[in-house]
Formats: sequence, structure tokens, C-alpha cells
Amino acid sequence: MKTLSRRAWVLYLLVLAFLAGVGILFYTFFTNADAWAMKRTNRHIYNKGNLSTAGSIYDESGAVLAETVDGSRSYNSSKDVRTATLHIVGDSQGYIATGIQTAYNDILTGYNIVDGVYDLKKYGKGSDIKLTVNADLCVTGYKALGKNKGTIGVYNYKTGAIVCVVSKPAYDIQNKPSESINNDKTGAYDGVYLNRFFSGVYTPGSTFKIITSASAIDNLPDIGTRSFNCTGEHKVGGDSIKCLSVHGNINFEQALNRSCNSAFAEIAIDLGKEKLTATTDALGFGKRFKVGKVSLAKSSFNISEASTVDVGWAGVGQHTTRVNPCHMMMIVGAIANGGSSPEPYFIKSVTSPTGNVSQTKGGNMLEPMFSQMTANRLDKMLRSNVKNYYGDGKFSGLEMCGKTGTAEVSSNEGGLSPHAWFVGYSQREDFPYAIVVVVENGGSGGSVALPVANKVMQKAESIFGG
Amino acid sequence: MAEIKQKRKTRLRKPVNWFPLLMLITAFQVFCALQILLNSSEEIVPATIFIVFGSYVLIEWVYFIVFAGFLRRKSFEVELIAFFLTGIGLALTTSVYPDKAYTQLIAIILGLVVFNAVLWVLSDIDRVVKLRIPVAVLSLGALLFTLVFAKEINGARNWIVLGNGLLSIQTSELVKVAFVFVGAATLENLQSTKQLTKYIIFSVTIIGMLFVMKDFGTALIFFFTFVMIAFLRSGDIKTIFLISAGALMGGIGVLTFKPYVARRFETYRHVWEFADDKGYQQVRLLIYSVSGGLFGLGLGNGKLRYVYAATEDLAFGMVCEEFGMITAFAVLLTFVALVVYSIRYSVAARSSFYSIAACAASVLLLSQASLHVFGVTDLLPWTGVTLPFISRGGSSMMCCWGLVALIKAIDVKTYKRYDKIIRG
Repeated sequence: MKTLSRRAWVLYLLVLAFLAGVGILFYTFFTNADAWAMKRTNRHIYNKGNLSTAGSIYDESGAVLAETVDGSRSYNSSKDVRTATLHIVGDSQGYIATGIQTAYNDILTGYNIVDGVYDLKKYGKGSDIKLTVNADLCVTGYKALGKNKGTIGVYNYKTGAIVCVVSKPAYDIQNKPSESINNDKTGAYDGVYLNRFFSGVYTPGSTFKIITSASAIDNLPDIGTRSFNCTGEHKVGGDSIKCLSVHGNINFEQALNRSCNSAFAEIAIDLGKEKLTATTDALGFGKRFKVGKVSLAKSSFNISEASTVDVGWAGVGQHTTRVNPCHMMMIVGAIANGGSSPEPYFIKSVTSPTGNVSQTKGGNMLEPMFSQMTANRLDKMLRSNVKNYYGDGKFSGLEMCGKTGTAEVSSNEGGLSPHAWFVGYSQREDFPYAIVVVVENGGSGGSVALPVANKVMQKAESIFGG
Repeated sequence: MAEIKQKRKTRLRKPVNWFPLLMLITAFQVFCALQILLNSSEEIVPATIFIVFGSYVLIEWVYFIVFAGFLRRKSFEVELIAFFLTGIGLALTTSVYPDKAYTQLIAIILGLVVFNAVLWVLSDIDRVVKLRIPVAVLSLGALLFTLVFAKEINGARNWIVLGNGLLSIQTSELVKVAFVFVGAATLENLQSTKQLTKYIIFSVTIIGMLFVMKDFGTALIFFFTFVMIAFLRSGDIKTIFLISAGALMGGIGVLTFKPYVARRFETYRHVWEFADDKGYQQVRLLIYSVSGGLFGLGLGNGKLRYVYAATEDLAFGMVCEEFGMITAFAVLLTFVALVVYSIRYSVAARSSFYSIAACAASVLLLSQASLHVFGVTDLLPWTGVTLPFISRGGSSMMCCWGLVALIKAIDVKTYKRYDKIIRG
């Protein structure tokens, strides 16, 4: 009937509303698909909350780190390997958020919105992931940390490939000590689910002097000819920044060699808040870096409210400054590579269930952190640290550059021991690797972290060196 | 001039060729049967699958051969859609509950009986007018009976259970057909305010009883349908706004003074926070819907089927997971097609009764599909209504086919031979 058909617009309106709803529905499906499909209650993928059917994870040499056998996950046959690679591989329950088994579960399960979990059903797994990480190197690092907690990372500063990631404490994933972890009162399992390399932040201590030096090179034209007189402290009004010894008259390079707090406090106060902050901003403090799908913890440097003496303390890596170990490694990597370095990565290749291999081409170049001139100058000074002060004998055959750090974490006498740092790299053309070591409450950087770095770098050299 | 007009009319109503489409639908159903067979768990007897699907395909072909071949009906869009959707529902039921496959098949046969019965009733407009009061009284009686004697299942008192659970009937489903019928028929005869008032009282009583039964979803569907019928009849948008505003205020009032009603909807937009209790079904539905991808995992390969009431309350998710999102999208479009069909054919309907009946019936189906699909996916509050044709259930199957008859009746050709129209 004509009258009625003239009223039909209401029905068209309803149809339009319905179609709009359908549009919203499928839009929400498409945008949330990955997150929803990876929920632990998805029984296509998880069995009682444990990742059950997924692709294998191999280390750089092809050793199995994780695989699915008969519908459940199994891991490397060596307990040492399982423990040392726990944080990079990740657990099957998703406690270790940055682990491959959690952060890359869409790839491991082959899930995508087009095929759903079809491949998983058909092949019993998704894609296999081969890491750039070497499991043996991780074991060496894990053991070298000894009784202490801490973290170690090693990467190729020319390609960005991460070859070693260790975070301690860890546990054997095959025999998880759930009871001990849940009822831990001794602190032995503090932050056990955290990959300290990616997600930790520490007071940098003297390793921060690299950054203060960079700012000085950029902003103080006479820095090369200056001399400093260290009397064991740098006085600021009634307060002072303490130095570990009395260094007497020294120049800029010697100040870094000996890690003189008096000199660096003076430099920092000279530079002032703005210039120091400009340097840390350029290095990516306060910025969230990404390594593949993993977001690094943000490093922080904030002296906007600091008193003059605190600016001095900040210049020697104390005050409120916190640095993420992977970020610190990237900073020295940039120095080694002439001012800028590629983004780190840890996935070497992905093999689909049908056998298609996609290789990672290497990390994209990050924005330059230093000018080439500044980088070269810092490179010489860091080389001088090892050559003239720590001694090349400590890193036999490696042509190492680097800086130790002893980060005070307790303000009172007899409190917690300081964190021991070493950050550095080899200058050798055939072995372009940088390392960061943090030994929590380990004591002095030079006597604790440096030997750890040497052990790991020697092992790395035996695997990757030309 | 007359010739051109004639031509245009003919082209407008040129029916789709049913034969290739039915072949496609049959192929789809054979494919479903094979999948159930291949992916079957041990408890499915292959004979069940053969008998159930064999009978269903046979029913389809007999229907088309009788009505297209002998009775020379020409347009079959509506039946094709209904058979397609019903087939999906049958496949899901057979796959998940092999022991209930025969029941579902019988429900479909009953549905077709209802379909033909309603078509027959509608063939004579005098009969329609005569029947409207008895049907109205019967509907009210049935709902009242339910209200008094019903058993509460899943929080709603809308089930009549007979013979120790052998047969359970959801009267509100059957009343849906009656509601549209009475509404359209009243308006056919009306033209007095008294008639309209009677219809409003009838509607309000039915919606009110559904509310007391806590079957809010069905109440809402009836409300939409009521508003639609009222508008199509009066063309008065202001009145519609008034009714809607009144209903909205009433709704707010209920939510304020009857907190238990509000509590039923507390998970709305928060299902993930209730993933292990009240949001359990919906969260599983979302997870498994996206797990199916665009093409689905295949019948029998899903996991949503293990969740409570999957073939009824979560039917849309089962379609997504096992048939894929493309099929799910197609299913949603078929409901749109029914509405568009009703609009297009209302131009040439024999009387406003047929137009209003078809439009109201298709809007009812569309709004029920909306409440189901957008409800389970948490875009709208979840009221637990079923997905027409696809959700398992006898009462709803009969209701859906009854509504299809109301839509079908709009086409004159349903009752006259096509060639006669052409001739003159």
C-alpha cells in the first residue's frame, strides 16, 4: 500500500542502525582479536591456563629451548639452559610478560584473524621462532653472576642482534618451585617474574659519567684542557659530594679513568640542569624504547627540582636517576658505532607451519644519540679506561672499552651493598659486541661486575669472534 | 504507457531463480553433514546424521517441487533464507547434541506445519478478521497460564514443562506470531479509536506479563514490534517518540525500584571483569568467536560448544567459531534481507494487513537477532534471547516459521498463479 511504503523509511532506518551495529561488532572483533584469542581461557591454545599447543623456540645455534610434545610444553634437556633462558623464553602461564611464550604467543600459535586458530588445529602448532640469543652464553652469564641477583645483556652493536639475556633470580621451568616462590620470605625470589634486562631500572652510579662526559664534550669547549683538583670531596656551600679517594690534580680523561666524583660533580654543576637534561633527553631518558614487541622500562633523569649539590650527585649517577640496563647497553653501542646504533632485536627468524621462513633483516637504525665527533671522543676515553686504568689484561685479547659503576643504593652506613655495574664493548672489527652487567648489591663495579663481563665476553668471543 | 508500467512492475517482481540457490543450500548442508561425520566424537551414530540431514534435504526439495512445480508459485526468497538458517541450526544441534537431532528435526517439521497453516489462514482476509479476537484471547490466556504455572529456567519463568520434562514449551515464542497477527488484523478492520485502544491494552498486558516473568528480552522484542505496528498504522512519529519516552522512563523506574532487575545487567560492558562467573559465557563467546577466523574451524572443531547453553544462548558465537565470520556476517544480512523484502513488496500488497504483518514480522526477527547478537557480544545488555532459526528449540522454531509465513503472505503471488498476473 502506498501510504505504508511511504512510512517504510523507518524500517530502512532500523536496517541502517542494525548494519551500523554489525559494523561496530566486527570492528571490535577485528581490533580485539589478538588479545581475546590469546586469553588464558582459550582452550584451543591453553590447557588449564598453560600454553600447550604452540611452535618451538630455538636458540641461535638451533638448540631447542621450548617445544610442544604430545600436547604439552617441554623445554631444553639441560637444567642450566632452562634456568638461564627462563626470562627470554618465558613461562607457559604468562607470569613473565616479556617472555617469547607470552609476548609472541600469537606467532607461536599462528593465530590471526583471517584463519583463526585453524593452523594450530591442523598442524598442532603455529610458527617456530629462532632467537638470536645463544643459550650457552646465557648459561655462562647466569653462572658468572654467582650468588647475586642481577642481569646481563650482550648485543652486536652493528646489527642489533641480542646474543645474551640473563636475569637472575630465575628457576627451572620444568620443575617450578611454586611453593618456594609463593611463600618466599627471604627475598631469594624477589622479582623472579621480571626480566631485569628489559623491565628493570637501577641507579647507574659511575656508568652515568659517560653521559656527563658526553654533555661536557658537547657543551664545554675547554673541557680537554681543564684540570681538576680532587681533595676527596667537592664542596658545595655547606654540603659536599664525596669522592672514593683523593685524586689530586687530574685532567678530564684521567677523571673518567679513575671515576673521580669531585671532578664530575664540578662538571655537572658547571653544565647546569638544562644542558644535562638536554643530553639525557637526546639519549632517550623518559622515552619508551621497544625491542621487538617488548617495551623497555623507561630510564629517568629528573633534576628540575634538585639543589646544586644534588645536581652534582646526579652528575656522578646518584640522586634519583634510574637507568634500564638494555638502554645503557644501547647507549654504549651507539658510542661504539659512531653515534647511532640499530634497534636491538632477538628474533632471528620465524618459520611458519608450512615451512616458510622469514628472516629478521636486522634492527632499524635508531635516531643518533651522539654526534660522530662526540662518539669518537667518548670511544677514546672508554678505551683509555680499560687500557690505562683497569688494564687490558682484565679483558685478554678483546680490545675492550668500558666503564665500571658502583651505585650506592643505601644512604646509611652498613646498609645494602652497592650495585656493581660494567658497561662496555669490544673495538674489534670482527667482534662488534657490547655488554652490560649489573650485579645487585654485589659491591664494587671494578672488582665484581668487571670479571663477570670478562667471562661473558670471552665466551661470546669464542662463539661469535672472527 | 500502460505497457511500460506493466513491464516495470514485472521486472520489480521478477523472482530469483530458486533452483540454483536451493542446489547451493543443499550442497552446503551436505557439506555440514560430512563435516559432522568426519569430526564426530564417538557418540554420534552416522545413521543419525544420514537420517536427519537426508530428511531435511528431502523436506526442502519436496516443498519446492510441490509449491513451485505443482502450485506454480514463483518467488521463494523468504523460504530460501529460512531453509538456509534452519539448516545451520540443525547442523549445530546435530553436531553438539546428537541425541537431540531428531527432536530438532521434528521441530522443523512442526515449523513447516505452522508455516502452511498460517499461510492458509492469511489467504482469506475475512477469516483473519474473524480469528483476531480468539487469537488475542488465546495468547493472553496462554501467557497468563504460563505466569501462574511456569517453571523457572535460567532466571526467567517462561517455560511450561509437560510430562516430566518430556516436552517444554515457551509460550512467549508462540505468542509472537499471534501478536503480529492480532496487531495487523486489528488495524485492517479498525478505523475506530476503540479498536486501537483495545490493541494497546492487549500489547501492554502482554509486555507487562513478560516483564513479570523476567523475560526482559522478549518483552523488548514485543515492544519494538508494537512501536513498529503503531507507526506503520498511524504514521505519527510524535506518538512514537511519546511511547518510547514513556517506555524509557518506565524502564528507568523499574531499574530504580527493582534492583534485582538492574543486577541482571551489572556485567554489561564489563564482562571481562566477570570472566569466571556472570560473564563466563560471554567471555568464552568472544574468545572463541575470534578463534574461528573468517572461515571457521569446521563443524565439530570448536570449543564454545562445551560452554553451557551454547546452541541456544550463544548460537551466534558457535556460527562464528565453527562456520567463520563470513558466514556469520551472511547470517546477519539475511535478517536485513527479510526486512527489505517486506518493504519492497508492501507497495503491491493486497491490503495494509499484509504490509503491516510482513513489516512487523521481519522487524521482530531483526530486533530479536539484534538483541541476541549484540547482547552476547556485550554491545547491548544481554537478555538471553535466542537467534531466530539457528538456536535450538522447538517453540522458537515454530514461531520463526510462523513469522516467515506472515512475511511470505505479503506477496500476492503466494496465492495467485504468476502467469495469471502477467496476463492481466
